[in-house]
Amino acid sequence: MNDYNWPELAVGLGATFEVLVTAQMLDDFAALSGDCNPLHMDDAFARSAGFPGRLVFGMLTSSFYSRLVGMYLPGKHGLLHGVEVEFKKPAHIGDRLTVSGEVVYLNDAYRQIEVKARILNQRGETVSKATIRAGLREH
Amino acid sequence: MHSAEIIAELQPIFADILDLPDLQLFAATTAADVEGWDSLAHINLVVAIEKRYKVKFALGELQELKNVGDMANLIIKKLAA
Repeated sequence: MNDYNWPELAVGLGATFEVLVTAQMLDDFAALSGDCNPLHMDDAFARSAGFPGRLVFGMLTSSFYSRLVGMYLPGKHGLLHGVEVEFKKPAHIGDRLTVSGEVVYLNDAYRQIEVKARILNQRGETVSKATIRAGLREH
Repeated sequence: MHSAEIIAELQPIFADILDLPDLQLFAATTAADVEGWDSLAHINLVVAIEKRYKVKFALGELQELKNVGDMANLIIKKLAA
């Protein structure tokens, strides 16, 4: 876990990590969220709808933006203020996702950073992109 | 620029961030007058204003503001600097 202090944060600072999507993640997310839509839970149903298999919940992949803030940018003392996400392409079980973000704006008065973030699949296709605002708590 | 011109420019910024399309801003308007103008919205307003006018505010400057008119005057001061 990163532990950035305010003076260490700068425009251009970035972070990247990878995630392998598993069927267990979808099952756990369904249990957590209560969203049991068959497009996400029933492989045959998803195929009958024209997809190659169960679709990963958009909010599951978006949860990795939470990890980006809480573990990387800014890490330990970060507090998520807001996330605007655009979904570009569905993710599937077995996809290896690369989650990356870069600081694009610093508000010194209230110690808030703005991060442009993106999730790519193993083929380099954009699964989603996001604008994230996060504060750095006093410590 | 005059304070009234700045306030007119601030109006769509506030309306968008506070999600109040019919919001009417006046020099005397304060956070207490506007539904949804809470601490997080305030940060979003300040960031949007910084980007709009390409200025940076110090915390001390922001803490002295009492209403929208004070903010407009601070912007004028920053733009003249």
